[in-house]
Amino acid sequence: MQEEDPISVALKQEEDAAPNEAPRLSVLQWLRSNLFSNWANAILTLLGALAAFLMLRGVLNFVFSENREWVAVRTNLRALMTLSYPESQYVRVWVALGFVVGLAGLSAGIWSDWGGLPIRRLATWFMGIGGLIALCVVVREPSVLMDSEGKALSTLEGSLQRESFGAAMADRVDWWIAALVLFTVGAVLWSRYSSVQRRHVELPITSIVYVGIGIAILTLWVVPYGHYAFVDGTYIAESGTTVAFSTQMPWTVMWVLLGLGFLVGRFLRSSQYVGMSKTGSNLLWLICPFALFWVVLRDPALDYGHVMSTDLPMGLAFGLLGAGALWLLTRSDIGEAGRIAATLLLIFAIFNWVAAFFGWYPMLQKARISFLLLAFAALLAPNFIGDIAKRRQLVLGWVGVMALVHYLATMINTPSTVDLQSDEFLGGLGLTLFVAVIVVVLSFPLGVLLALGRTSKFPIFRMLSTSYIEIIRGVPLISVLIFFSVMVPLFLPDGMELAELAAVLTGYTLFSAAYLAENVRGGLQSITKGQYEAADAIGLTSAQRTGFIVLPQALTVSIPQLVGQVISSFKETSLLAIIGLFDFLRVANSVIPAQSEFMGVKREGILVVAMIYFFFNFIISKYSQRLERRVGLGER
Amino acid sequence: MNIDDATAAANDRLADRDDMIVCVNVDKFYGDFQALKGVTATIKEGEVAVVCGPSGSGKSTWIRCINRLEVHQGGDIVVDGIELTNDLRNIEKIRSEVGMVFQQFNLFPHLTVLDNITLAPIWVRKKPRAEAESMARALLERVGIPEQAEKFPGQLSGGQQQRVAIARSLAMEPRVMLFDEPTSALDPEMIKEVLDVMKELARSGITMMVVTHEMGFAREVADRIMFMEGGEIVEVGTPEHFFTNPTEDRTKLFLSQIL
Repeated sequence: MQEEDPISVALKQEEDAAPNEAPRLSVLQWLRSNLFSNWANAILTLLGALAAFLMLRGVLNFVFSENREWVAVRTNLRALMTLSYPESQYVRVWVALGFVVGLAGLSAGIWSDWGGLPIRRLATWFMGIGGLIALCVVVREPSVLMDSEGKALSTLEGSLQRESFGAAMADRVDWWIAALVLFTVGAVLWSRYSSVQRRHVELPITSIVYVGIGIAILTLWVVPYGHYAFVDGTYIAESGTTVAFSTQMPWTVMWVLLGLGFLVGRFLRSSQYVGMSKTGSNLLWLICPFALFWVVLRDPALDYGHVMSTDLPMGLAFGLLGAGALWLLTRSDIGEAGRIAATLLLIFAIFNWVAAFFGWYPMLQKARISFLLLAFAALLAPNFIGDIAKRRQLVLGWVGVMALVHYLATMINTPSTVDLQSDEFLGGLGLTLFVAVIVVVLSFPLGVLLALGRTSKFPIFRMLSTSYIEIIRGVPLISVLIFFSVMVPLFLPDGMELAELAAVLTGYTLFSAAYLAENVRGGLQSITKGQYEAADAIGLTSAQRTGFIVLPQALTVSIPQLVGQVISSFKETSLLAIIGLFDFLRVANSVIPAQSEFMGVKREGILVVAMIYFFFNFIISKYSQRLERRVGLGER
Repeated sequence: MNIDDATAAANDRLADRDDMIVCVNVDKFYGDFQALKGVTATIKEGEVAVVCGPSGSGKSTWIRCINRLEVHQGGDIVVDGIELTNDLRNIEKIRSEVGMVFQQFNLFPHLTVLDNITLAPIWVRKKPRAEAESMARALLERVGIPEQAEKFPGQLSGGQQQRVAIARSLAMEPRVMLFDEPTSALDPEMIKEVLDVMKELARSGITMMVVTHEMGFAREVADRIMFMEGGEIVEVGTPEHFFTNPTEDRTKLFLSQIL
C-alpha cells in the first residue's frame, strides 16, 4: 500500500464513517418523506415527472426519427475534428492526440486518490442503466411506416402512420435484451454483496480501468464507427489500410496509451518520485499545447543553415551568459548591487520593446523576450542567495527555460511544411480546443498580475490595472475580436505581420485576463488583514508574502469563479466564427449543411457538437469540485 | 524590604543591562484622533514588561508600532540599536528579530502546522529544510503539542493554535517577543495552557513585552508593569508596587474594576 497524504486519508475516514452512522431509509420511506410528504409536494412531484417524461420522449423521438440523417455527422467526423487539415498528414493529429491521451492517463494515475469502487455501487449503476434503457424503449413512439420508395406513409388526415405498439416493442428486441442483461448482472451483484460482511467490498480502480479500456477496444473492432466515405450514393465504412487512414488502429493505440499512462502513473504514485512526477506532469501539460501545435501539427521545415548560424548560437549565448550573470547575482556578498543590476536589466529589456515599436534598432523578437526573462530571473535572484545547491537551482532553471523558449521560438518562426488546401490551418474541434487552451494558459498569469496590480499599494499600478480591466470589461468580446482581426494589422509598424489566428489569440487572451483578474481580486479581498500582518511580522518580503500566503488562499477561494471563467472562455470560442475562423460549431452549422449530399442537414450536427461541448465542460466542472474539496480541508 | 525599595532594586537590577526597546515621545494619530501621546519608555534586555490598561488606551497601538505594523508619526523607536524609519531594510531587520503573537493567532490556514513554523526560517533565514523542520518539531515539543505537526490550523483548538503561533515566532530565534492580548480570544479553559507556555518563555530570559488583562500572569512573571490610559503611560512599577501600592488615582480605579 502506498503512502497517502493526510488529506486523502482524512477524506477517506470521513467517507467510511458516514454510512455506518446514518440510519438507512427504505425506498418507499424515502419517496414518502421526500417526494410525497404533503399534497402540494405530491402535485409538484407528479408535474415534474410529467415534464421529464415529455422531454425524454421528445429527445428520443428526435434522435431515432426516420428523418434524421446521422450519417451526415458520421461522414463529416473529420471535418468536425480538424476541417481542412490534409488527410495525408493525419498521422500528426494522431501523434498529438496520443501524447495528450497518454499524459491524461499518466496524470490520472499519479493523482487518483481512490483505491476502489464499492461493488454495490457498481451494481446500482448497472441496474439503473438497464432500467433507463427499458424506460426509453417503452417511452419512444412506434416507428413511422415507410413505403417501398422509402417515403413515410401518412393517413388521409395527414398524420403519419405508425406501426402498432406491439410491433414496435418486438422490433426493439435487441434493446430489451441489453436492458435485461444489464439489470440482471446488477441485481445478481447487488444480492451477492448485500450481506453486512461483504457490503463494503471494493473493486480495485486499476481493474476497472483495464476492463473499461478492454471493452472500448473491443467495440472498436465490432462496431465500425469512425470515418465513412460517400461512394456512388452510398456510405461505406472505410477499411483501414494505413495508420493515417484507418480509425480502428489509431483508436486502439489511443486506448492502449491511456491504459499504459495510467499504469505508469500508478507506479510513480507508489514510488518515491511522486512529488517530482506531479510537478513533471503539470509542466508537460503546460508546455504540450504549444509544442504539439507548432512542432508536431505544423511540422516546421527547419533551415539548418539558419539554425546553425543564428538560432543555436543565440540560444547558447543567452543560456550560458545568463547563467553566468545569475551565478554572480546570487553571490552572498552581492548586497544592493544585485538589485540595482536587476533593475537596470529590466529597464533595458523594456526599452528594447519600445525601440522595436519605433524601429530604432533591429533585434530579433526572441532576443527581446530572452532579455525580459533574464531581467525577471535577476529580480528573483535574491531569493536564491545561499549555498551552492540553491544557486545551482536558479542557474539550471534558467538554462532549461532558455532551451525551451529558443526551441519553441525557432519552431514558431519556421514555416510549416503541411500542405494546406485553404487559408485555414486548423478548424473544427481542433481549433476550438487549441484556442481555448492557449487563451486559458496565457490569460491566467496575466489575470493574476492584473488583480495584484489593482490591489497594489502603488497608485500607478493600481490606476493602470483598473483602467485596463474596466475598459476591457466594458466592451463585448465580439468587438474585441473584430478589433484585433481587422484594426490591429493597420497599426503595426511596417514589415511586421500578425497571422489572423495570432491576432485573435492575443485579443481573446487580453479579454479573458480582465475577467480572471476580477475573479482573483474577489479572492484577494477575502484575505484578512491579520494574514498580511502575520506574514510581515515573521519577516517575509512582500513578494514572499504574496506568493506563499496571499495568492494561495485567494486562488483557493476563487476556484469556483475561475473555473466558471475557464468554461465560458471555452464555450465562447464559438464567436470565432464571426471573424471568419471555422470553429467547431461553425462546421456543424454552416459547413455540413452546405455539402451537396447533406443540403440543410443542421440539427444532427449541432446536437452532437452540443454534447461534445457538454462533455468537456462537465469534466472541467467535476474536476473543480474535487479540487475544491481537496483544498477546502485546510479551511475548516 | 518595603515596596518602593523593591521597585528601586528592580530598577537597579535592570540598570546594567543593555537597552532593547527605546521609545522616546512616540506619537500616533488616526486622522484627528491621537492614539499615542508622547509615549516614552525603555525596555531592557531580558526584561518581561506587561502593558495593561482599559480598552482604547493605546496599548495595542504602541506594541504594533514597535515592529512597524503601525507607523508612528512622531518621536523615535529604537529596537536593539536599530532605529525604525521608512528604510525598508531596517524594517526587515527589525521584523526578523522581533517575534509577534496576535490576539487572533493569524496562523496561515492553508499550510500545515509544520509549514507555518518553517516558512520564515527557510525563506527569510535561508535555512535548509531539514534543519528548519527539526527545529520546528523541537519548538512544538516545547509548547507541548508535538503530535499536531501535520495538521492544519483549522483542526486545532484555540489554545493549540495560539501555541503554534508562539512556536512560529520563536522559529525565527527572535531577541524580543511581543504579545498583543494573546489570551483574549480564547475560551477560559484554554487560557492556562497558553499562559504556561508564556511563563516558561519568560523564565528562559528572552525580552518580552506583553499586552494583557491577565493580572495573575503579570504578578507572577513581570519585571515591570506599565499602566496606560488615554494614549499615555500613567504609571510604571514592579508588580508588588503596582498591585499593593499604586500611586495614581487612575491606576487605583482600573485595579478596583478588574480585580
